Amino acid sequence: MPTLREIQRAVARSIRSPDDGEALRHIADDVIAAADRLDIYRNNAAATLVGALRIAYPAVEKLVGAEFFEGAARIYIERYPPRTAYLNDYGAEFADFLGAFPAAAELTYLPDVARLEWAVSSALNAPDVPALDPSALAGLAASELDRVRFVPHPSVRLLSLHHPADVIWRAVFGGDDAALAAIALTGEPLWLLVHRGREGVAVRRLTQEEARLTAMLCSGSALSEAMPERDSAVFVALLADHLAQGRFAGFETCEPDRERKNERVGKE
Amino acid sequence: MSVASAPTERVPGLIPALAGVGLRFPHHQAVIERKPPVAWFEVHTENYMGGGAPLRYLEAIRRDYPLSLHGVGLSLGRVDGLDADHLDRIARLAARIEPGLVSEHLSWSISDGDYLGDLLPLPLTEEALDVVCDNVDRFQQALGRQILVENPSSYLRYRHSTITESEFLVVVARRTGCGTLCDVNNIFVSAENHGWDAVAYLEALPPAEVKELHLAGHTVKQLSDGAVLRIDDHGSAVEPAVWTLFRQAVLRFGARPTMIEWDSNIPPLDVLVEQADQASAILLQPHESRADADAA
Repeated sequence: MPTLREIQRAVARSIRSPDDGEALRHIADDVIAAADRLDIYRNNAAATLVGALRIAYPAVEKLVGAEFFEGAARIYIERYPPRTAYLNDYGAEFADFLGAFPAAAELTYLPDVARLEWAVSSALNAPDVPALDPSALAGLAASELDRVRFVPHPSVRLLSLHHPADVIWRAVFGGDDAALAAIALTGEPLWLLVHRGREGVAVRRLTQEEARLTAMLCSGSALSEAMPERDSAVFVALLADHLAQGRFAGFETCEPDRERKNERVGKE
Repeated sequence: MSVASAPTERVPGLIPALAGVGLRFPHHQAVIERKPPVAWFEVHTENYMGGGAPLRYLEAIRRDYPLSLHGVGLSLGRVDGLDADHLDRIARLAARIEPGLVSEHLSWSISDGDYLGDLLPLPLTEEALDVVCDNVDRFQQALGRQILVENPSSYLRYRHSTITESEFLVVVARRTGCGTLCDVNNIFVSAENHGWDAVAYLEALPPAEVKELHLAGHTVKQLSDGAVLRIDDHGSAVEPAVWTLFRQAVLRFGARPTMIEWDSNIPPLDVLVEQADQASAILLQPHESRADADAA
């Protein structure tokens, strides 16, 4: 008698990819063929997982059409099966998959649109964490402020792209074909900040400098490391915006001896 | 974002022996605005494991209604033990929502760590029984409470099953102390698909262990050779034959919390409320169930 593990492996293989026949040997055959019975599960499973990708990538689906999307999604599912039943977490590699998918090679902007959609989707589902109240910084001395390391809100995503995915994304949902046709695909780099705030998920363009500073602030750099010249107008405005929009969840002040090389107490 | 609400602002979590409705995203807003006359709601646990809007809606709805968490992804028939992360997500949601009931399916959906996307039936063997009981034990320990295990609808059987499905559920409940969620539509669908006796299935379940009932619609699929399979798609109203079986279930088990499931072609909320009213009318009919007689 086959073990439970052997049966499950055979059935799983049969559901995920063309049947090798082993699963059929375990399934009772009566008035309805075992293959027909197994087909029901194969179709249900595909519908569930394709559906999960549809929810995460609605603009990609609109751009390529439902039929193309389903075909691509089915290949993706076979290559990258979900590792959890929490399907909001499923589909992280879809943009890279599309980038290497020969049938979509002409749609050079498609992977960047998918990257934006994944950032939006994962921001939507990020854990609920209260935003840092900016007044918590008010009592800090200048030397302490230098050593502040921010903890980004779990919904913050920073994207570095080569196609105007934000413009395409808005035109797709606005049903604005004229705007879509007018989009220039120059391959110019651009930076997007995605974050779930009080009003929902917002997508904001950043300059290269803002993106560099934001990446440092969100990866645990101390304020003094992110911006040695802290009086830069760009930096002050950016930091004020991040704080006002709730893009940090908290902060810690690192130990002075660990950051001695960056401490500039004497200079101030 | 402030979504916290003190538990004291909430109605009690206990699920009454009346009909509730399966709550899906399209009805979040309507439930909050209109507060429909439904005794309780049940949600799919997996839909509320992240933060943001869904959880905020659920918190708001929980203030006015008891809720039940119905999981579709833990894979109680998994051979290599439950996924600790998934278990943790369920436990955190349960701590936050304080559900009146928590349930999962007698099925498997994960093999070698890959999630398949559907609830697959188990071979009904002693080996599978040990696996399910171990997993139910761990689930109950992680949540610190009793869970309910639901009979699945199924389209296939395994050649070497040695135990009936109803007996399997009974033994799991006896060994682990879990309860049984008896899905009347699933019994009907599986009985039609496999030539089982649906009433005998009901008769095999001890009333004291049945803590909840489910009702749903299904479709009939014509296969190419003329044979038919009943498909449990939760996409239509409860069928007359399933209402009949439900009456028999209520006579046997007594009034139990009963949920209307509708997951595809989701109709307006009023249609769901009307289905729930039909179920409640049956639950409220005077009957002396064997459960009550046993208890007396």
